[in-house]
Order: sequence, then C-alpha cells, then structure tokens
Amino acid sequence: MSDRSIDRDLKKGSAELLILSLVEGRQRHGYEISKLIETRSRGTVRFRVASLYPLLYRLEGRGWVQGQWVEKPGQRRRRYYRLTPAGREILAERRRGWDAFVEAIRRITGTEYA
Amino acid sequence: MPDWGDAIRERLRGLNLEGARETEIVEELAQHLDDRYRELMESGAPEQRARGLVLEELETHDLLAEEMRRARQPGTREPMGMGSTRGRNFMGNVWHDLKVALRMIRARPAFSALVISMLAIGVAGNAAIFSVFNGLFLRPLPFPDSARLMDLDETAPKWDLKFVGISNPDFYNWQKGNATFERMAAYTGGGANLSDDSGNAQRIKTASVTYPMLDVLGLKPVVGRNFLPQEDQPKGPRVVLLGYDLWRRLFQGDRHVVGRVVKLSEQPYTIVGVLPPEAVLPPDAEAWLPLQADPNRGGSFYLQGVGRLKQGLSQAQAKADLLRVHLSVIQDPKERADPVTTPVLQPVRDRYLGDIKTVTRILLGAVGLVLLIACVNIAGLMLVRGEARSREIAIRTAVGASRGRIVRQLLTESLLLAGIGGVMGVLAGNLCLRGLISLMPDDLPKWIQFGLDGRFALFSAALTGAAAMIFGLAPALQAASVDAQGCLQEASRSSMSRGKRAVLSTLVVCEIALALVLLVSSGLLVQAFLRVLHVDPGFRAENVMTWNLRLPNVKYPKPEQGYTFFSGLIERLKSLPGITAASASNHVPLGGHTGYFYRAEGAPPLGPNDKNPVVLQVVALPGYFETMGITMLAGRGFEERDEAPKATPVAVINETFLKGFWPGARTADVLGKRIGYNGEKPDWVTVVGVTRDTKHYGLDQEMKPSVFVTFPTNPQTLMTTVVRSAIDPRAIVGPAREVIRQMDRDLPMFDVRTMSEKLGRSLWVRRAYSWLFAAFAATAILLAAAGIYGVVSFAVSQRTREIGIRMALGARPARVLAGVLGSGMLMVAVGVALGLGASLAVARLLKGMLFGVSARDAATYAVVIVLVVGVGALANYVPARRAAKVDPMRALRFE
Repeated sequence: MSDRSIDRDLKKGSAELLILSLVEGRQRHGYEISKLIETRSRGTVRFRVASLYPLLYRLEGRGWVQGQWVEKPGQRRRRYYRLTPAGREILAERRRGWDAFVEAIRRITGTEYA
Repeated sequence: MPDWGDAIRERLRGLNLEGARETEIVEELAQHLDDRYRELMESGAPEQRARGLVLEELETHDLLAEEMRRARQPGTREPMGMGSTRGRNFMGNVWHDLKVALRMIRARPAFSALVISMLAIGVAGNAAIFSVFNGLFLRPLPFPDSARLMDLDETAPKWDLKFVGISNPDFYNWQKGNATFERMAAYTGGGANLSDDSGNAQRIKTASVTYPMLDVLGLKPVVGRNFLPQEDQPKGPRVVLLGYDLWRRLFQGDRHVVGRVVKLSEQPYTIVGVLPPEAVLPPDAEAWLPLQADPNRGGSFYLQGVGRLKQGLSQAQAKADLLRVHLSVIQDPKERADPVTTPVLQPVRDRYLGDIKTVTRILLGAVGLVLLIACVNIAGLMLVRGEARSREIAIRTAVGASRGRIVRQLLTESLLLAGIGGVMGVLAGNLCLRGLISLMPDDLPKWIQFGLDGRFALFSAALTGAAAMIFGLAPALQAASVDAQGCLQEASRSSMSRGKRAVLSTLVVCEIALALVLLVSSGLLVQAFLRVLHVDPGFRAENVMTWNLRLPNVKYPKPEQGYTFFSGLIERLKSLPGITAASASNHVPLGGHTGYFYRAEGAPPLGPNDKNPVVLQVVALPGYFETMGITMLAGRGFEERDEAPKATPVAVINETFLKGFWPGARTADVLGKRIGYNGEKPDWVTVVGVTRDTKHYGLDQEMKPSVFVTFPTNPQTLMTTVVRSAIDPRAIVGPAREVIRQMDRDLPMFDVRTMSEKLGRSLWVRRAYSWLFAAFAATAILLAAAGIYGVVSFAVSQRTREIGIRMALGARPARVLAGVLGSGMLMVAVGVALGLGASLAVARLLKGMLFGVSARDAATYAVVIVLVVGVGALANYVPARRAAKVDPMRALRFE
C-alpha cells in the first residue's frame, strides 16, 4: 500500500474518530473540541479552523453529528454538536477497527514473542 | 476585538454559498477566532502578533475555501482521497492511483507477471487470428462500393460440378436480358510469353475480359483509355491494357507508353492504357486483353463473370432474375423444367475464400476459448489476491478510506495490468501473425493484405477492456464489500468464506472444462492432419521437378510441331546427368483440371436421373507414369508407337473410372475395351492400362474418374514437364533451362516447383489450422494448470493454521496430503466431466474437417482425459505436499 495514501486515509479516519469520541458524552462547540484535542494530546495534535470546521460540516452532512445553535443568557449564541445514533454506530465500528489497527501495528513493530 | 467577518467572507467567496448559510458559517468561525484571540491575549501575546496568529488559522494552505467547497452541500459525494474529486484534481487523483497501482504491481512481481503473461497469451492469439480474419473477410475490396459486386458462374449438380464456368451464349444472354445489374462483365484467365529484344523470355498471367470490365469494378485507367466496344469483337484488333506492376517493371512507369507495341506469345499488341493498381480482379492478371468472344459459339463453359448490382437490390433478387433470363431461352420444355446448368452468384470475396472462411471462424472460436480461459484464470487470481489483501483493505476502511476509493484503486490496478498485458499481447500477436502469414501460400489473391488497422486496434482494445472488467471489477467490488471489522478479526485467522471458495472452484472447473474442449478438438484435428499426411497420393513426389511451358500458336501452329518440340525436349532432358526419367503432361497431380463426359462401351446406360460425372482428362507423353511414380494395376502405359500417325488411339483409366463405368469388373477385364466422349461422335479409344488412383485435387479431396490420353489425340500448347532425378531436383533446373533456350530462346519456364512443394502447398490450410489448434490447446492446458496450482496453493496457505492444528492433534501427513489432493481432484473431475460433454458437441461442428477421424474417437478422448487428470494431479500435488510438510508449531504462530 502506498505510504502516502495510507497516511491520508489515516489522518482523515483518525480525525473523524477523534471528533466523534469527543462529542460522544456531551455536546460541544467547535472551539471546545479543538481545545480538547490540543490539550489531551498535549499539543501533539492540533486542528486549525480551516480543517476542523469543514470536517464538522462533513460529519454533520453524513448525519453522524448534529449541530444546533444554543442561546444562553448573557452570551452570544453558539453552535453545539452532538452525536447522532448513526454516529454512535460508526464510532463503535471505528473504535474496533482502530484497536485492531493499533494491535496490528503493535504486532508488526513490537517484539516478536510479546 | 477585531472583526474577522471580512477575512472569513473573503475566503468563502467563490463558493457561492446561500446567504443564510454563509452568515451562519461566518458567525460560527468568527466566534472561534474570537476565542482564540482572547486566549492568545491572555497568554500575554502582543495584540499585533495575536491577530496575525489568528488569521493564520484561516490561511493554512488556503485550505479553507478548498474544504468548504466540499462541505458546502451536506452529503456530497465521498472524496476519494484528501483532495477534491472535482475538476482540477481529478487528473491528479488518476495519476496518484496509477502510481500506487504501478507500485503494487512491482511489489508482487511473480503475481503480476503471471497475470500479464496470461492476458498477453490470450490477446496475442486473438490479435493474430483476428488480423487474418480481418484481412480475409472484413477489409473491403479495393473497388468502390465493392459490396455490390457479385461473382457470376454456372453450377451443374448433374455433372457433379459446383462451378462449371459460363458459356458465351449464356453470358451474353444474361447481360442483355437481366434487370438487376448495372453492368456485367466476363473474363477468363490466360498467360502469355512476353519476350523483349534482348532474348529474355518471361511468362506473364493475362486475362481476357469483356470491355466493360473496368467500369464494372468502378475503376479508371491511370494512363490511356479503356477498351472500346469495337475492340471487343471476334477478330478485333490486338490491343492490351498493361497491369500497373508490369508497366512499372517494363517501362519504369513511363506515361508515354500508349501506342507502343509489346510482343505477347510472338504476336504484336498495341498498348492502349495502363490499369490502376486496384485492378486486382481477375486475380494476378498482369495484362488485360479484350475477350473478343463470339456470343453464338457455345459448348464450352470457360468464363467467369462479375456484375455490379443496381443500388438497393439483393443477391436473391438478382439470382431470381438471372434464372428467369437463363430459362427464357431454353426451347425444350423438359430441359427448361430441369436445366443442366443454372446461374449462381455470390459476393466476389466469398468466391475466393469460401473454404478458408469456416476454418478461420472455427479458429476464432478456439482462440476465444483460450482468452476465456486466460480471463477465468486471471479472475481467479484476482479473487485470491483480493482475499489476501482483505486485511489491508479492512485496515484502510477502518482508518477512513471509502468504498469508492478502494474500488477505484483496485480497478486501476486491474486496468493497468490489463493494459500492460494487452500491449504485450498485441506485440506478441504481431509476431504470431507474421508466423501465420509465412504459413500461407504465396498465391492468395493480391487484394488480401494482413496487418494492423483501425478495426484491429479497436478489437484489441475492446478485448483488453473486457478482460479488465471481467477480472477487475468483480473482485474489486467483492473486496470492498468486505466487512472491515469482520475481516480484521476473523478472516485473518483462517480461511476465506465458503461462498468465495465456491466461486474460485467454479472458475477452476470451467477452466479445466474449456481446456479439455480445446485439447479434444486439437487432438482430433491433428490426428486428421496426420492421417491426411499419410494418405498415399498415388504418385511418388520425392525428387520430382516440374515446370510449365506454353508454345505460342503463332510459332507452333500445327499440333505436330508441338509434339516434335515436347518429345525432343524430353529426349534431351533424359541425356542430362542426374535425370533418371522425364516426360510431360498437361495436368500433373494438383495441377488443374479439364473435364469431359465419357461413356464406356458395354457399360449400363445412364438413367435420366443418374449423375453424369465429369471425367478428368489428362494428356500424357510416353514415360509419364514411370516418371511420376504412378503404379499400373494392369496393362501398360503409353509408348512411342501409340503416338505414331496411324496408330490406334489408346487410353489409360484410373480405378475410380473403372468402378464408376464398369461396376464389379476386374482390372484385367477392361483391357481392350473402348471408351469415348459422351456425344454424337464418341472418338472411341482403347483402354490399354489401368492405374491406381492419384490424389489429383489434394490429399484430403475426393477422387474423380480420370482418363489419360495421348498427345496426338489431344494436342496441347501448355504442358508441364516432369523430371525425376537421382540428385536434388532443384539442381537440374539450370541445365534444363539451358536446354530449352537452345531449342527456343523466347520460351520461358514458369511455375517451377518440385512435386513435394506442390503437395505441401496444397495442405497449407489444414496444416495451419491443425497446428494452430494444437498450440491453443497447449496454451489452454498450461493456463489451466497454472489456475489449479494457484487456487490450491492459496487454499493451502489459507488453511495452514487449520492444518497445523490438525497435525498437532495427531493427523498424519499422508492424511493431510490426501485431504488436500482429494478436494483439488474433485474440481478436476467435475471439470473433466463438463468438458467431455462440451467436447462432444464441439467435435460435431468440426466433422467436416476431420477427414474420417470419428468425432467420438475414443483414443483421443482417453489420451486427453489422462493428460488433463495428470496435469491436474501435478498442479494439486505440489501445494498438497507443502500442506503435509506444515510444521504445527510454526503454523499456530503463523498469524
């Protein structure tokens, strides 16, 4: 398999997985999502506006997340995203695939008789 | 707080977002940027720097607009890669796919080579055979609107002749009375001795044509003019239209050639024009002369006709009309109800290629089978590989690759393989084609040309494309529908699903069946060919040289002069060293035909519905039977006393004549009996000898009754000299030519060939298709073996773990071996059974070509079955052995 193409697939697939996981428990807005990714990865993974929102819109388009404007007193309204039932299924599947992938990578790169 | 709105809007420009949607996006992004700005300020960044960093969020490779373009409509098509699928990136994606595919192909050199070579073999065979087919049957004749040109002839089933030729009265009657042809012309082939002043004589082929010939073909002379109607009258002027090649050869293309005179067979002919290079009918004629026939002189059927149908009329309409015209002049009502000869017509091309057509079609079928096998094999391989790659595909799906993208990637790979295989196939096909052409005789009509043309390229492209789809798309779809998670977790552990293995087994079974069909067909055909080769021709061909000589009437007007010349030549030749016997005949075996109707004295008279077979009449000089090696069954051959002026006319008959005219008579009984022409004036001749049959029309052709007569009873101007030598027969041509030059310096030798050559040439079609079939069958069985091997090996590698467990539990290697072999051989058995059924059906189609070999020849079938089962067992055994050698411990650790 081409390194570059798996790299692309990987980035795209993992980004989706990250976002889906973050909105699983509760609904979050875009800035919050980007902050969480940055802090939890200790700065290793960072999404800029230019790539985060298109991704969110795409997930929304596929019906995996749903965005909603929420108004809170004394604040500007914000758009919050939450996981849909379809998104939940995809997330579960992606998690399994990811685990298997990580396991496969580990088997390849790890010690022979681990 | 800076206002980000404008910056964002600027980046969204060009997306033509709907107003409300754009406002929403701007609002959401602006908020994000506000948060970021606030965060940066709080961390102590100077205002200017914070603003710059925030704006950079938008600038990232100008990705925003790019990404938004895709996000604009929710639910747009899945992107294939990270780039856009649309417009400007499309080529980039194709290029990317191609690069990946190329890398994949290089990463598995053995697999790729296998697929490519299988495809190349299939395409090469098809390309070569198709080119022949194309050259013979599809390429248009070089005449304008050539589909309207019809070959005209007469048929006479009562005389046992498919084509007898057209008589003068019939032709002129058809020409005058028909309502379906624009124009019609008749021609007959001939030859002439062309001599120049320097004493170099050469023989050229000529054609005598009625004056509209060129108009019928739709051609114009390149120099000068066509024949005039008044030149095409009995006793008309001696004029000639030179053929294009002859003109170039004799006059180096001089355009002032009109009005010059050439000497043809000692007669001066005035050149009136030069034929265009397209004037290839009558075939091989190098010069045209006006026919100058007398419409009222009948009796002899010697013309062939060609007519141009009126626009929009069919062959059937024309045939009905010609028959009407033909019958209208027959006076006798009984004869009119059941005429001896009737007009036949067919497209010009069919006349020359009738026999080859069937053969080429059958070969196309054979080659199609090989391609089918190759495709089936490749499909199997791809399926196997798709399975082997299912893990990789599952991973790619898990990490986000879309189904469409995977299908596209696999399809690109298949198409690339198919493309490479196709190109190599075309190249190899070209080589095969050259081989095929070299097998063909050099006297095919000139208008047949082989080689690449547009139609061929299209055919090859379609072929490769179809193959790519067959073996590419199915596995690609199947692979992409793989359940990602299931594959990673389960398929990785052991075997492929039952369904997929069933598909694979079915493919292999089909392959075996197809290979068996080809093997049986080629076995039968090769056997038929060998049988033909072993046919006794009735003469001894080795060490016999022949050539033709034609005495011009002007120089040898009296028959005695001809006799003197030929018998003198034979005497001189006999004295040359190395020559053991010499004689001459007008029709040596495989060398033409003159038919007469005979009757035999004392034979039962013919009933009204009896066939009256045409008898081949051969004129021979003394010593002919000895020289040609024809066995006398009874009596004697011709001697010099038979040629004396007052001698009793004598004849020698062959066995078929004897059986036909005196059924049941013994050879010795008929000596001294008389035979004669079946007419008012029989010209009785006495039978003095009976010969064994000679295969006059070809080894695989029927015998016809024949009569040999002496030269004085039937003087000839064209004779074939026959010389038997003790040395290489080619070595005597030079000395013989010198002898002839001494006798007549203007007399060219032509058609100089050994009898062995003639025999070989007469069999070229059969030889070509028999060996081609054998080559295809060999290819087919090799491909099938590769298919079996591939599938079984794969199954074994998939089952390594299972086999390991079994062996760890105590299964013996022999048992494992038997198990693997058994399932493999089951496929072979089913394939053989299916193939046998199909072979019986196909062999029936071949019946006409089998020369007496039974289409159900048990030996052939038995050998083929043993061969297929043997090859199948071998292809199974290798991987099965590998299975039996599995080390249980390693197998368990395999994954």
